[in-house]
Amino acid sequence: MRLLTHNMLSSNIKGVANGFPLRIVAEKVIEKPVEMNHDFLKNMFAKLDWKAFVDASRSLGYVELPDEADASMLESSEFLNKFHHALLELHLEEGALVCPETGRKFPVNKGIPNMLLHEDEV
Amino acid sequence: MRAALRRSNHQFHQTLQPLNPAVVTPSRPDSHSRTMRDDPDPPFLSERRSQSKPGCPARTPDIEKKYVHRIYDAIAPHFSSTRFAKWPKVAAFLKSLPRGCLVLDAGCGNGKYLGLNPECCFIGCDISPPLIRICADKDHEVLVADAVNLPYRTGFGDAAISIAVLHHLSTEGRRRRAIEELVRVVKRGGLVLITVWAVEQEDKSLVSKWTPLVDKFAEEWIGPGSPRCRSPSSLSLESIPEMDSAASTENLALGEGLGGFGGGKGGKDQQEYFVPWHLPYHRAEIGGTSRGALESGLAKRDEKKRAVVYNRYYHVFEEGELERLVSDMDNVAVVDRFFDKSNWCIILEKTG
Repeated sequence: MRLLTHNMLSSNIKGVANGFPLRIVAEKVIEKPVEMNHDFLKNMFAKLDWKAFVDASRSLGYVELPDEADASMLESSEFLNKFHHALLELHLEEGALVCPETGRKFPVNKGIPNMLLHEDEV
Repeated sequence: MRAALRRSNHQFHQTLQPLNPAVVTPSRPDSHSRTMRDDPDPPFLSERRSQSKPGCPARTPDIEKKYVHRIYDAIAPHFSSTRFAKWPKVAAFLKSLPRGCLVLDAGCGNGKYLGLNPECCFIGCDISPPLIRICADKDHEVLVADAVNLPYRTGFGDAAISIAVLHHLSTEGRRRRAIEELVRVVKRGGLVLITVWAVEQEDKSLVSKWTPLVDKFAEEWIGPGSPRCRSPSSLSLESIPEMDSAASTENLALGEGLGGFGGGKGGKDQQEYFVPWHLPYHRAEIGGTSRGALESGLAKRDEKKRAVVYNRYYHVFEEGELERLVSDMDNVAVVDRFFDKSNWCIILEKTG
């Protein structure tokens, strides 16, 4: 699971008012290099919850992202490289995503989050 | 504001009744709920649902768990090996998206559309873990989730697709809810492409291989308690005819006088079916899933074809049905609709 995906995921358990961001429990993190797509990075920068993104990257052990960022930083190739790396190349391979309100753990195995709810959570 | 419906791509010319709510008869399972969001169940489901949680379209009915989810889990590798052809219309839609888009595929199956536009980024989900495993093995970004209840933030995607998914949902409320979810998760101005199997199949012989689901079947299969003991004359799963014509008389007889689904074998009003999937013996893990499915009655053997036969539940869509489902959504415009290879397709734009 990429941090891109983590920034989109939200706990949808019945009764949860704010299921975002899910807390990350990281057991295994891997890196998979991909080609950079500037348009995509710019597009996603506007949508990302930056704080959640930075916190998530740190929970995967990556500490290169600044606490705050604004669109002008997209001009810097150094920033873009880090942004790209954290957004798309880091993968939570094993671990869990934890609902911020209920503490319910959604497992992540072999890179795949299982976000299915139990009957009584729907 | 709702954009005018463009029919330019509507290539399907057949003597079909145009969509006209006035001619929809009350006996049709879904017609009564056209404007009633909270009463979406066809008659055959209402009893069951009232025992679980009425008015909750997010809750998966047993018929889908048993005749959709379990089936795909069981046939995943074989299903995937047969699912490589990409529909040109879906490919064209994906390729028309601007560079840098985030595309969400809800019900991505084996992931054949993920990455189809290399200038965009894709995230797929499916309710079947084995199918998602197949996607992940191809290095796609995927997760296990329910398309009726997406665990996604609102407006994060730039576009969304739902290819051959909605016809596996057994109530109008769930089909509508799945569309609402697709719309919810894209940004304002984002496009959503939905395709579903059509009642109007170009290959008529195909339909004759399907088992119409009439009220009585449904009652027995998804009702509470033992699925096969409601009446001594009832058909058990093992005896459900799959394709032989001799059996269709039996179907017809069962359908008679039941109303609801219009009875009959593949009649014009028939929209609920079991569609067989033949898993060849050499593909079936006889020691594993298929053995269990055979023992529990979920699947049966076809010795002639040397295959384990699973039945998948389908609600096939009639002309205009997709439009009808979105007709009371005030943040949606129909950008295009067309018929393609026995599928009804619609492209929506999120307008608000």
